[in-house]
Amino acid sequence: MIHAEVIRIERNTPTVRTLYFRWDYEVKPGQFIMVWVPGTGEIPISLSSIGAEKSITVKSYGPASDAIVKLTAGSRLFFRGPYGRQFSVVNGPILLVGGGSGMASLSPLITKNTDAIVSARSADELLFSERIPEGRIIRVTDDGSAGIKGNPINALETVDTEKYGMIYVCGPEIMLKKVYDFLTFRKVRAEFALERLMKCGVGVCDSCSIDGMQLCRDGSIFSIDDLKKMPEFGRTKLTESGRRVFFNH
Amino acid sequence: MNKLKTTVSGIELDTPFMLASGILDENGYTMKRVLQEGAAAVVTKSIGSSERSGYRPPVIVEIDGKSMINAIGLANPGIENFREEIAIALEAGKPVIGSVFGSDAGEFVNLSKKMEEFGVTAVELNLSCPHVKGFGQEVGSDPDLVSDIVSEVKRSVRIPVFAKLSPNVSDMIEIAKAADKADAYVLINTVKAMAIDIYSRMPVLSNAYGGLSGPSIKPVGVRYVYEVKKETGKEIIGVGGIRTGEDALEYIMAGASCVQVGTAVYSDGRQIFSKLAAQVGAIMDAEKIGSVRDIIGVAIRN
Ligand SMILES: Cc1cc2nc3c(=O)[nH]c(=O)nc-3n(C[C@H](O)[C@H](O)[C@H](O)COP(=O)(O)O)c2cc1C
Ligand code: FES
Repeated sequence: MIHAEVIRIERNTPTVRTLYFRWDYEVKPGQFIMVWVPGTGEIPISLSSIGAEKSITVKSYGPASDAIVKLTAGSRLFFRGPYGRQFSVVNGPILLVGGGSGMASLSPLITKNTDAIVSARSADELLFSERIPEGRIIRVTDDGSAGIKGNPINALETVDTEKYGMIYVCGPEIMLKKVYDFLTFRKVRAEFALERLMKCGVGVCDSCSIDGMQLCRDGSIFSIDDLKKMPEFGRTKLTESGRRVFFNH
Repeated sequence: MNKLKTTVSGIELDTPFMLASGILDENGYTMKRVLQEGAAAVVTKSIGSSERSGYRPPVIVEIDGKSMINAIGLANPGIENFREEIAIALEAGKPVIGSVFGSDAGEFVNLSKKMEEFGVTAVELNLSCPHVKGFGQEVGSDPDLVSDIVSEVKRSVRIPVFAKLSPNVSDMIEIAKAADKADAYVLINTVKAMAIDIYSRMPVLSNAYGGLSGPSIKPVGVRYVYEVKKETGKEIIGVGGIRTGEDALEYIMAGASCVQVGTAVYSDGRQIFSKLAAQVGAIMDAEKIGSVRDIIGVAIRN
């Protein structure tokens, strides 16, 4: 188990916090760590900054994430990793499509050449939108409280997707599937960061599997061409017991 | 690659390498992929009568990048939900061995009959999980109960029955003899263990205890295979810490007819199966060994 001191905490939205810590290790964009809260649990979280100072960006949704969100500067952060494959890095203009806390794993990709579609339920849940210059960002909200009312597809329809070297997508699987369906017949390169239940993080427990691939090792980044060979994508997922269930569309 | 062929309980295997129970085998598509990528057979995750979520994470502790301690807690979708997964795995056209766990003979019989109905090639009775109360090792350390379970299952199914035994007992020979109605023994399951994080002063696993696997336990596994083979003469499937061709040959020379590989999937990825076949093939050529079958138990001295 690795441990590091939390240096500072940033409040990003009413439910999301970013915890900064120093960890001298080379991490690639898109990789994740398994964060342990002693006595409470362990969850996978992708790194939202990967320089000398690193960060994780966490939304509270269960006992472990709740405890992480409540950590204060000076507390110890316990984790193992990094795990998973990285996003391919390309030259030229790129487009990020982030839904909800999905922007967290996309944020290490932000450069001056980055355009972004940032979507959330409402205006105050738009994550890291301030990190993208005005003119390069399209905001999308479910309730219309900021930007376009609707989903990321409504924003993608207004964009010339073929001018980008790569489109990077992260968010809930249902959103990824919609974006995939929209992009699949266009001439684009795209990579998707999938989120599924992870227990071991190292490719043994089979809880994160999709079409025989393990998200924790073979992913969690998959190219649009990989996804074309994965009929379970956006259709079925596994519960904690390993039972296959269908997504509710 | 004919020289790598071997058999256990009449089941023909292209190579001596099976995927061990509990590693990448809860899901049909995963098992199918592991078979397509080189495993000669797969053993399913141990399946029980009803759906179980297992323990909450942390469920594994990594040790030196090669061994690990796990306490998954027998997470499984339940036998009724497993029919479809077996059907998918069988599409690879290779043997699928159904692993089951229960608390008494009746439960083991029902589970084994279901597995047979789903089309598995053999059943493996998990008499040995070291970290779940009321199952596994608690069952597997009682010779009368073991004898009961194995003979009842043997009476109820036509496919081969394997008994997977635990090293966490005071006398494995006694348990092996109690399980002697089985067609083969699977040796060994994980060794009960734990890890404490000194900075938080807490056990790392949510369940505190777990089972140690990987290279750390190989010498223990080799010893049990040797000893049980020597004492009983029965067919044995060796498992515990196999990562290289040398490891596999050590188990085979100790008396294993074939071996299972689990934790090496963590250190080396799913490619481990094709890697092992290539390594064993090369050593056999260099050592002028014509067939795996010629060296099973050659190291045993009386
Ligand atoms: C993550 C994990 C889960 C396991 N689950 C099971 C199981 O459900 N049933 C079982 O009989 N053995 C289980 N085992 C034990 C393995 O099948 C094997 O006996 C043990 O790990 C030693 O082999 P290895 O060193 O090659 O991993 C599990 C092992 C690991 C590492
Ligand atoms: S989280 Fe265990 S296999 Fe991926």
